[in-house]
Formats: sequence, C-alpha cells, structure tokens
Amino acid sequence: MERRHIQHLYWRAGFGLRPEELNRLSGLSRDQIVGDLFESSRSVYPLRIDLSEFNGFRADMAMTNKKELREFIERSRVRIKDFNYAWVNRMVNPKAALRERMTLFWANHFVCRDSHIGFVQQYNNTLRKHALGHFGDFVKAISKQPAMLKYLNNKHNIKKSPNENFARELMELFTLGPGHYTERDIKESARALTGYFHDFKGRFVFRYRQHDMGVKRFLGYRGRFTGDDVVNIILAKRQCARFICEKIYAYFVNETLVQDHIDQMVEVFYRNYKIDKLMRFVFQSDWFYDEKNIGSKIKSPVELIVGIRRTVPIEFRKINESVVIQRYMGQPLLYPPNVAGWKGGRNWINTNTLLLRLKTPSILLSNGIISIKEQGQFFDPMFDRFRPDLGGKKIFDVVPDWDSFESEFKGIDIEEMTTYMLQTSLSEETSNMLNDLSKLNKKTFCVQLMSLPEYQMC
Amino acid sequence: MKRRDFVKQTSLASGLFFVPSFIQAFDGIVGAAKGYRRLVIIQLSGGNDGLNTIIPYRNDIYYRNRPKIAIQRNTQLRIDGELAMHQNLTPLKRLYDNGYVCILNNVGYPNPDRSHFRSMDIWQTASHSHEYLSSGWLGRYLDRHGDEPYNGIEISDKLSLALTGDKSSGIATNNAGRLYRTAQDPYLKLLIKHHRDEHLSEHNLGYLYKTLIQAESSAEYIYETTRKGRSYQRYTNDSFGKQLKTMAEFINSGIQTKVFYTSHEGYDTHAGQLKTQPRLLNVFSKNLEAFVNDLQKGGSFDDTLIMVFSEFGRRVRQNAANGTDHGAANNVFIVGKNLKKNGIYNGLDDLRRLDANGDIRYEIDFRSIYSTILRNWLGVQDDLILNDQFEYLDFI
Repeated sequence: MERRHIQHLYWRAGFGLRPEELNRLSGLSRDQIVGDLFESSRSVYPLRIDLSEFNGFRADMAMTNKKELREFIERSRVRIKDFNYAWVNRMVNPKAALRERMTLFWANHFVCRDSHIGFVQQYNNTLRKHALGHFGDFVKAISKQPAMLKYLNNKHNIKKSPNENFARELMELFTLGPGHYTERDIKESARALTGYFHDFKGRFVFRYRQHDMGVKRFLGYRGRFTGDDVVNIILAKRQCARFICEKIYAYFVNETLVQDHIDQMVEVFYRNYKIDKLMRFVFQSDWFYDEKNIGSKIKSPVELIVGIRRTVPIEFRKINESVVIQRYMGQPLLYPPNVAGWKGGRNWINTNTLLLRLKTPSILLSNGIISIKEQGQFFDPMFDRFRPDLGGKKIFDVVPDWDSFESEFKGIDIEEMTTYMLQTSLSEETSNMLNDLSKLNKKTFCVQLMSLPEYQMC
Repeated sequence: MKRRDFVKQTSLASGLFFVPSFIQAFDGIVGAAKGYRRLVIIQLSGGNDGLNTIIPYRNDIYYRNRPKIAIQRNTQLRIDGELAMHQNLTPLKRLYDNGYVCILNNVGYPNPDRSHFRSMDIWQTASHSHEYLSSGWLGRYLDRHGDEPYNGIEISDKLSLALTGDKSSGIATNNAGRLYRTAQDPYLKLLIKHHRDEHLSEHNLGYLYKTLIQAESSAEYIYETTRKGRSYQRYTNDSFGKQLKTMAEFINSGIQTKVFYTSHEGYDTHAGQLKTQPRLLNVFSKNLEAFVNDLQKGGSFDDTLIMVFSEFGRRVRQNAANGTDHGAANNVFIVGKNLKKNGIYNGLDDLRRLDANGDIRYEIDFRSIYSTILRNWLGVQDDLILNDQFEYLDFI
C-alpha cells in the first residue's frame, strides 16, 4: 500500500500517523493494514476519570438540600472539563484508533449534552461501546441513557402527557432524516416511548404505569409497540441505512456524495446494520483512495489539535485552557451547540477561527512565534489576555515534549518532513516560499509547516 | 454580490444614491458616512426579566405572583396608565421621552424553548422552534448583501451564530489593534504575498487561502478606519461599557459596517434577583444613553437603528429563592431617531391568560421584527433571508 494511502486511511479512520508507525506499516498490503486497524479496535477501553469525590452524594440529599445540590452541580461542571481533557488525551494516544474515531463521529450524530459528569461519562462510554457494533442496539442503548433522557426530555414523556421531542429527533436526526415520516408517526412513536426513566445513579428504569400500552400506528405498522419496537420498525426502512451511509460518506470520504458509492454502502449496511462491516467495506474500497478524497477535508478543531499533539506531545498545566482553545475554534467537546451538532466543513472557518487555527501551533509550541528568515520577530499575539504579564514567558501554560518529536523524526531528513506532516501536496507558491526560508532546524520547520493552510487539511 | 452593487444597493436604500460616502465626509461631519444605514443588535444574555423591566404597576396579578420581588408602585418611571420603567432605567426614559424608543411587548415564537442555548439559537438563526439552522439571520444577510467580513462586526472575541452565514461571515473583535497585529504576523503576511486571489481554486484549500487574504485586508481596514473614530461620552468601566464605547468609535469613524452585534451578560436571575437585575439595568441604560449621545455627536444616530432583545422572558410567578425561572415571551426595545411609531407599540398581554407553564404568551413573532427591519430599514428582501414570510410591523 502506498504511504500516502496509509496516511489517508489513518487520518480519516484514526488521528494521523507518527513517523515510526507509518514506517512500520509501509510495505504491508491493504488487507493487512485495514485488518490491523479493525483488530486493534476490537476491545473496548472505557474512558473514566476518578469520580470518587461524588460517592457521598445521594438522591435524598440532593432532593432536600439545595446547597448540596448546588455544590454537586458546581463540582460536576469542573469535572466535565477534566473529562474533556481526558478524552482529547485519549485521541492523542489511542489504543484503539478506529474505535476512538468512530466515538468522535457518533458523538456528533447522537448529539447530547448534560451537566452531570456521571451521566456524561456514561454516555460517552456508551458511544464507545457501540461505535462499531450493531446500529439498532446502538439506538436502543442511546434511547435509555440518562443524559439523553434528560437532553431530549423523554423522561418527561408519559402516557398522560406525551413529550414528542425525542421521538422527533430520533427520526429526523438519528435514523431517517427529514421527509420520511409524518407528524402522525411522531405522535404515535412518542406514545411508544413513554415510561422511560432513570434513577439517581443513571440506571434505566421502565415505569410501566407511565407507559402507554395502547395500539399505535407507526410507519405503516400497527400494534402495541414499545420504544424498542419503534427502533426495529425504523431499521426495516432502507432509508435508515441510506441516511447513515450518507452521513458516514460525508464525514469519512468526501462531503460531495457520489450516489454510486452510497448505493454500494447501503447494500452492505442494510443487510445486517453492522457498523464494523460497513466501515471495513468503505476502507477496502478503491474509491476511498481516489486522489480527490485525499487531503480534501478541512480538519475539525479537534482533529487539528489532536494532530498537533500527536506530532509534538503537549501537556496542559491548566486544563481549562485546553477547553478554551476548542471553544474559540468552535468545537468544545461535550458542549455541542444543539442536537443537530456541528455542521463541519467550511462551517469551521471564519476570519476569527482561521487566524486562530493558523496561529495555534505557534501559540502552543513557540509562544506565538513562527520564524521567518533567520530571526524570529516578536509581535503581540492575538491572545495576550491569556498571557501572564510576568516576563511574558508563555501565552498558554503548556509543556511541549520536543524530545519525543526529535526522536520520532530522528532518521528523517528535514526536506522529507513535509510528506510526513501534510496530506496535500504543496502548491508551487508555497514551496517557493518555504524554499526562501532557511530551514534552521526540525523544530522550527515543524512549526512553519503546521502554520500553513495546507496543514488545516486532511 | 459585487462590491459596487452593494454600495449602490445600500445607498439606494438610504435615498442618497447620488452621493458617495467619501464625498459626504466633507460636509462637516467628522468621519461618519451619512446615509449609510446600519443596524445595532444588543443581546441581553441569560433571559432578562421583562416584567421587572417594564412594570405593569397597576396589575394585581403581577403583585400577587411576586410578593418578594415585585417593584413597588411609587418608585417607578411611569410610561402610561399601565406600564412604568424600572427606576434604574432613567437614562432609557430620557431617550424614550425624546421619542427615540419603541417598546414591543409579548414578543416570542410558537412552542417556546426554555433552554438558554436553544432559545438563543432560535433567536439568532430565526428558525422555527423545531428547526436547526447552522447560519444566523444576519449571516445570511451578509451572504446576500455583504462583500467583506467587516460588513458585519461583533464586538466580542468570538463570533456568534447570528453573524455566521452559509457562505460568508462577519468578524468578531474587541480590539482592532490586537486583531490587526495578529493578522500582521510576518509569516502569514509572507504566505499572503505568495498567493494571489486569481490562482486560488474553488476547493477547500483555496477557500482557506481566500479567507486568509480577506482576514488580513479586513483587519487592516478595520484598524486603519477606526483609528479616526472618536467617542465623547463617559461609559461604565466594565466590559459592556467598553464594548459600547468601542462600537461608538467604530460607527463614528465611518466604517462600512451594516450590522453591529454585542451582548450584555448576566440576566439569568434564578435567585436573589433584586440584587442583580437592577444593577444590570443600570449598566445597560447608562451605556445605551452614552452610546446614543455619542452617535448624535458623531452625526451617525440618524442612520442607526438599535434593537435590544433577550432569548426569553421569565416566569410571572417568582420562585422560592426570590428569583424567577425561564419563561417565554418578552419585551424588545427598538431605539432610533426617526421611528414611525415610538412609545408602547402594543400593551402587555393579559396576565390571566398565561400558557401552561405560567408564562406570557407571544403575540408578536420575533421574526416579524426582523422582517420589518430587513425590508424597511436595510432595504432588502426579507423572505430570502428569513426563509419565510412574516407579517410586517410599522415601527419603522
């Protein structure tokens, strides 16, 4: 398999490759490499932070003691940031790269947001567990998660007064897409989804007395349906497979859909709704490696940050700063804007975010300075409000591990670094510009490469 | 749309199509381009309690529902036989008495959402309650009628959804100098020098380069233009005061910006409301008056329309913590010199007919305000931007 193709696969199915990993894989066949990718993602490694501080909180206390409850919410808020940082770290060093990539993808499909750290963590691990599993099981699990029951109000969906919020988004955003069901279908499926609840610890509770046992008419079927029945009926529609395949194609392959490729994917997915089978088919397809798909995607803020940190490991001394960067770039993980999630593509880019994205590598690695010619010129960076005035040493309180970088790039010629770090070929103009700059050393050149618009692509 | 069309179209809207803005600079007014209509949006974030802002001071239901936090009768600035302003809105009352303010009551939308994020999104994108749009209404205005990112400026360090379009977006800055220095990064300048517009492809990478080139020229334009901007008034020394001061300087400099956006935070008063809201109203109205006076001095007030909104109002009944929870319909202020209708646009809804949550029902869809502003003030076709037709109002 061509090195460029291996890199392409790993940028889309994982988070890019370090030079040593790339060298290890090159020379292997596509079957071997794709097989290896799936093999290493077979196990599920849940992501957990230490939440023992909350062990003392009990339902009755939170209900009766307002002060306790406020303290719980406040501490939870802080810990969600810790979880955000742990998640980014996981993507920087994933044991199961594909599973982590799928987890990130599904987090922007089954979009959910909550302020309870326990539920947030539980939800995130549900995504991870089902990321490559059976799509129907996945939807059913999501529908019973406390975070989702809260977020789309299904815990308030009871026989006497149905709440249609979850039922609507289930079809519009999670399975079928708009236009493939009626308002009546929403009402009827909302009835089937009544009685869903969870306890204080986040365990699913089915409240029979709040469940509407009556007959429902849904998508052409008639019966005393439950919530799980509703999911099964949706899956029987080929449109459900198509909707998911289109979204996967847009995210993993190209935003411009090719109908023929989608049809092939639907053929595979509709058979049994196994996500791993579908993804294997995509990564084995010749069209996945078409030239027009390589390096054509604008990295999401998380892809950008994780990519930088995979090349030069960075430790954030202040976890909040890691979240702040995501927020300013427009993708704070665990804080999606709404249930439709982030749109992606060119939507990541505006004047402000682009300048920040181009400056971020230097802000994190060289205190805002991108060298030109021999001497780096100092200037006021955009984010001087983050810079401690004492000595002006650092904009962010971060520690880059350049030793690790040096050892990864040890055997690599400085001229060769471009092919390891960029997914698009350089235009003549950019090459000319880089040639004019003196290549002082690999560190400086690394920051220069990362500060190119080309580095924004994968 | 090409730049020339933009200039033509916007000056047509102002009725001064034969006087280019650079000539107007000679007629004695410092900086500000006459006849260049602009819109200013001030967002009160957190859900301002409209009932304690514009108070129904003769309404028993109001007093019964708010035993601890109702504003007492004798301390208010009366507007008419029903409504009065909070005493900390004295500066706003002065503007009101000059005929510069129109108050619209019961503004909201069908199936109101009581989440801050969601309701703010609905207001910013002008979507229906069940619809998720990824572009803001002002962003879509810029898509159609803008030309450069600086045609829409948010005084903030992060661009909000309102000014994010499908194709183009506004620009956010708190400090023109800082933005300029960032864009002046020697390395980025070098990159720009090597890339000329005409060689760039329509693909994503070309798009990034185009955006970068535009960012640099916008930052330079904003910095160079606003250096001439002056403000003459005293603002409070907090972030909102600074934002409005910056905005006044920008506007008085004659910058070619059609839409300005800024927000005032902190209105989510679930507890101890009487300790926070009056302070916020004081800051809000003091700075608003200073801002209007600044524009008058700079000769820009005639061409400026200001809209003040919040993502929702608050519940009529107070809660146990002497605060109020998230509600629904609320009041909106329109501030400008030549309003077609000033004063109270429509009375407060009957507090006996609240919705199931105990919130005020909406009478005016907020998108009617948008459509009226787009058509009657900015002179553009509103339904193309709002994706729907809404009834026009006649405040402007």
